[in-house]
Amino acid sequence: MAASISGLLKPWTPRVFLVRWSRYNPYYLEPEVSKEAYSRPETELSAEEKEQRELKALRPIKAATSGVSSSVFDDPVISKFINMMMEHGNKVLAREIMTQTLENIKKKQVEKYHKASEGEREAIECNPYTIFHQALENCKPVVGLASIQKGGKYYQVPIPLTDNRRRFLAMKWMITECRDNKHRRTHMYEKLSQELLAAFGKEGNVMKKKYELHKMAEANRAYAHYRWW
Amino acid sequence: MATQGGIAFQEKVSRLLRGQNGKPVLKPNRALVLKDAVANRKPKKGEASCITEMSVLMACWKQNNFVDTLCSNEINSFYMCVEKAQADAKNKAAQSNIQGGRLPPKQATALLKRYPNLCKEI
Repeated sequence: MAASISGLLKPWTPRVFLVRWSRYNPYYLEPEVSKEAYSRPETELSAEEKEQRELKALRPIKAATSGVSSSVFDDPVISKFINMMMEHGNKVLAREIMTQTLENIKKKQVEKYHKASEGEREAIECNPYTIFHQALENCKPVVGLASIQKGGKYYQVPIPLTDNRRRFLAMKWMITECRDNKHRRTHMYEKLSQELLAAFGKEGNVMKKKYELHKMAEANRAYAHYRWW
Repeated sequence: MATQGGIAFQEKVSRLLRGQNGKPVLKPNRALVLKDAVANRKPKKGEASCITEMSVLMACWKQNNFVDTLCSNEINSFYMCVEKAQADAKNKAAQSNIQGGRLPPKQATALLKRYPNLCKEI
């Protein structure tokens, strides 16, 4: 609500400069971390983007979190996955697990590559980042279910999901699946790499979960009119 | 507006409270003071959007046993429909705000809270 009335805020500078806080006045703008956004010349920008740039010169900007960086290796999806895996604030451990997972995926794929014959070698994907992204894409559900009350009863109604919600569900399913349904003596990176490779090949428990959600939505398609948005 | 007819308005109110022939017209149980907030409006219940696209998608799923690669066209059209519906909802909200000539209740409350009704001298 406060963000919607940010148009009513007059030009203002804060008396105390906020650094690394997480609650900011809605007057503050988000930081732009990628270098490519600044290297574009003036001619390439549209009118709105020029306005945005001028606005950024005048308004105060939030401090960037320590999770983002301007390096070429910074990936927002992977950062989000690491944050979701993190427990009790142990980011070091979560990042370690993530790097070990990617390394493990690469090892397995390179092994497969060297064992395969000449014709099959081109089809094998070795880049762990593309495998991660493709596996996550394969796990994202298309429609979700919402519990809507009508006439005293609650119905599971199929609804369209936002991109953020779909990405969150895919990551959540992946992590819970690896934590709960695997043999307890395997390391998390091993479990994750197995599950990610399976999802890349469109098999595995996470894909099953996605299909079950789709089947439930299809079964409840009669209630789709209970939505009002 | 209040300053123009201010004194006449106060006289009218005191006449209503005192009443003609000793019988007051108004017997307020609370002070006659305006609140610093506006009542919220009930949002209008719309219809579900993108039902046709969803039903087409689900028919395709039923046919192809829920394999997503075979239904990619339907999935894309569903996503585009959803995006359009969201954009439409945003534009409609913005338009109705501008056309109505009134502030929406939340913004009106925020503004009133900034310039509250002064009921005490201190």
